[in-house]
Amino acid sequence: MVSKICTGNYSAAYGSMRSRVRTVAAYPITPQTFIVEHISEFVNNGEMDCEYIEVESEHSAMSACVSASASGVRTFTATSSQGLALMHEILPIASGMRLPVVMAVVNRAIASPINIWVEHNDIMPERDSGWMQVFCDNNQEVLDMVLQAYRIAEDRRVSLPMTVCLDAFILSHTVEPVDLIEQADADRFVPRYKPTGPILDPDDVNAVGVFTPPDYVMECRWQTDKAMRSAVEVIGEVNAAFAKQFGRDHGGLIDPYMVDDADAVLITMGTASSTAHEVVDDMRAEGKKVGLVKLRFWRPYPMTEMRAIAEKVKAVGVFDRAVSFGVGGPSFIEFKSAVFGIDLPVLNFIGGLGGRDVSLADIRYMYDKLLDAAKTGEVRRDVTWVGTRGVSQ
Amino acid sequence: MKLKDLPDEELFTRGHTACAGCGAAIAVRNLMKVLGPNTMVVNPACCLLIFGATYPYLAWKVPFHHVAFENTAACATGMSRAMKVLGKDETLIMGIAGDGGTADIGIQALSGAAERNENMLYVMYDNEAYMNTGIQRSGSTPFGAWTTTTPVGKVKAGKSNFKKDMPLIMMAHNVPYVATASVGHIQDFIRKFEKAKSMKGFRYIQVFTPCPTGWRHDTAKTVEIAKLAVDTGMWTLYESENGKVTISKKPKMTPVAEYLKPQGRFRHMSEEDVKSLQDWVMKKWEADEKYAQCRQ
Amino acid sequence: MAAQALASSAHSEGGYATAFPFFGAERRGAPVLAFTRIDEKRVYRKTQVYEPDYVVVLDESLLDTVNVVEGLKEGGMVLVNSSKQPAEVDVGIDVKMATVDATSVALEVLKQPATNSSILGALSKATGLVSIESIEKGILQVFGDRLGPKIGEKNAKAARVAYDRTLVGESHGKRELKSAEKWLPDVKELPIGVAGVPMSTSAGAVGPGSFVENKTGTWKVFRPEYDTEKCTMCNFCWFYCPEGCIYRKEDHMDFDMDYCKGCGICANECPADAIRMVR
Repeated sequence: MVSKICTGNYSAAYGSMRSRVRTVAAYPITPQTFIVEHISEFVNNGEMDCEYIEVESEHSAMSACVSASASGVRTFTATSSQGLALMHEILPIASGMRLPVVMAVVNRAIASPINIWVEHNDIMPERDSGWMQVFCDNNQEVLDMVLQAYRIAEDRRVSLPMTVCLDAFILSHTVEPVDLIEQADADRFVPRYKPTGPILDPDDVNAVGVFTPPDYVMECRWQTDKAMRSAVEVIGEVNAAFAKQFGRDHGGLIDPYMVDDADAVLITMGTASSTAHEVVDDMRAEGKKVGLVKLRFWRPYPMTEMRAIAEKVKAVGVFDRAVSFGVGGPSFIEFKSAVFGIDLPVLNFIGGLGGRDVSLADIRYMYDKLLDAAKTGEVRRDVTWVGTRGVSQ
Repeated sequence: MKLKDLPDEELFTRGHTACAGCGAAIAVRNLMKVLGPNTMVVNPACCLLIFGATYPYLAWKVPFHHVAFENTAACATGMSRAMKVLGKDETLIMGIAGDGGTADIGIQALSGAAERNENMLYVMYDNEAYMNTGIQRSGSTPFGAWTTTTPVGKVKAGKSNFKKDMPLIMMAHNVPYVATASVGHIQDFIRKFEKAKSMKGFRYIQVFTPCPTGWRHDTAKTVEIAKLAVDTGMWTLYESENGKVTISKKPKMTPVAEYLKPQGRFRHMSEEDVKSLQDWVMKKWEADEKYAQCRQ
Repeated sequence: MAAQALASSAHSEGGYATAFPFFGAERRGAPVLAFTRIDEKRVYRKTQVYEPDYVVVLDESLLDTVNVVEGLKEGGMVLVNSSKQPAEVDVGIDVKMATVDATSVALEVLKQPATNSSILGALSKATGLVSIESIEKGILQVFGDRLGPKIGEKNAKAARVAYDRTLVGESHGKRELKSAEKWLPDVKELPIGVAGVPMSTSAGAVGPGSFVENKTGTWKVFRPEYDTEKCTMCNFCWFYCPEGCIYRKEDHMDFDMDYCKGCGICANECPADAIRMVR
């Protein structure tokens, strides 16, 4: 085992190398750029046997990945924010063709106003793109999830593309110790690539992406829906296999912490989960019964797991680093839909937009509100904008 | 290869649903005869996608791929690199798109792939408008032409800009091969596709393919009009091989009016407009000839 | 456009009408499906028509591959573009039948085989649903708007000529009309990603090269007539045929009428005058 201090961007790039990706098409964008730089270095140093395509846009990056994957090779790309928006058109094509493309997304605010810092609003429009999406809260998890992503995406029951999400700067540019998995170990975990469906092959003629009339589309959509549902099981299996081989259990769709006897829990995505972990420890030491649910998979969404938690606790808070204007946070909306019919107070906290720091105090503030709601059973205000000047708290 | 030596086997089969008299269909079935079965095709949204591949039917007998509209060259890049990874470099990757998918929305991906000298053949079949969506103006539509977005109205009629010179743009990328071809010139057509097939790196061929539906001409006149385009200088046949430019056929400089006459899309044009187009042709030919002279 | 013009005509008579094509991506000349609904009150339903009062068939050859009377209401009527007498057209059931040689009308008046305006004139005569004057108005509006007033007028004239030539009667069907079988895989059978995989199904081949299942020969109005004696075997027609339905044989060319769309390029380009187009 080689433990080394490295950034989230390095972890993502390293993960793609260890997964023996054979084609990468990518385009620079802050704060993702280091990922493509690291991959270029791996390739040019002969450490990574891979075609690196220096495309002229993210749109072409995803297009080249789709076509390379449709031609039967393992592919990887990475992007962020505006670049993801430019790829938007091609994302449902990857999933519709059932291609196991893996992409690192460094979550960054979407313009306007133009801003390069963390926010999850860039990926929310991709919720229904047919991509699996996992959010990480540390650099080890980024590396581990790139490897896991290939196993999950390339499982025949799934055969869908997947993003590994990491928060801009807070992970992408922050160094922390990471166990850099060695090639032999990675090879034991990620099998040699075998295409999951019919591909473009001069020796076995098929077509991928034919113009399709109404007679066939409902059945195709149903298959994709089924694949996303099947992913729930596969994600659990792959997590267990990973934990067994590497001794690290990141959890499946969710990673609950101190939830079982909690009065109030907070649901978080990305690095806020890591910060909240400390707050839970502090407040538990003070005798306050709080817990944390780290929402890892945004798609497939943990419907069953969330209902089980709602049955257990007295109040739930959802922290969103994104907003659906006029309604609330996307994660809040999703949770409410998952627990429909269960009577408990659900509060939404919106914060950390455009890179605003989410402090220990911010999270403690959320827990205080939650404990209050747990006691009274009342929701005085469902959506709260945390630390926003001129907005009542 | 002589016409008689072209194989009988159709890699783009009959039963496709192109309009009667389709110039693009003539180009595709014949270029596939030249390129042969070890070819993989990527094709964006365009007439050819629909008439050659409507699920569950395909006219293509080679691997066929469609992704979106503006990314043909990027997709061909992905396929080409994948073949390299798999040790199947001998497989020819062909991106084939219309003028809208090439000269307009697809030019960014195309320019990127050309600049990187990706190993592919990119074919633009030029029917001078967005025919798939019902005849809208493209950058490749000639001056004066009626389209549904340059309609003959009371104050404006026809396209007010001249045709974009795509082959010249492609030659500026210094790629191994750029050629113009026409469905009206059989031997030239065969020779250019043969040459493209024999080379490596980025190759671009733009084929002139009349469209009876969009150009409003008799379906029987497709080839005749393609020939007239060359005779009048509306379409210059040339090629650039590793930077050396050769004119394939000198135009007879038949008056442009002869070319315009059989086509309904030009019927409304004033004498003055016809003269503008004639002037443009003269200048274009002069420029093409000079360009060829200085790139020997 | 015909469906729209009919709706426009009905609307001009004070009725409510909706018209829409089956939103396909068919090229010109290919068989298409279009629907028109006419009522005195507002039509809310936005679905395809499954039980029509009238069925209009623009191409007689479709009777071989489509059961056009499927769902036709009791007492409904069929109008077919045909040079035959109504009694001679067999649609498999006893039915009110009208015929008109719309192709000839179109060729005479429009100089091209676009039958959609002629058939509207015939529909007016056969059904009395909309007056011929309203049809003319509808055509002037819809065709005129789209293709210019001159073309609008010509099409209105075609409708009038067809109106005068329409024959109305009855036909007693004997043969069994059958629609061609379609491959409709369920969620287990459909290849993932809707991949085009070569397969033979009960409805014929699908996947690469399977368009040969689609006999486009029904599209044509004119067909090539070939004179072996004159042919020099230059192969030009073989190259220029957009369909690839001219086959090279040792000492002659074979023209496959199952696929020929009748474009006429072969005849136009033949340097030896060995091909001419005939109806």
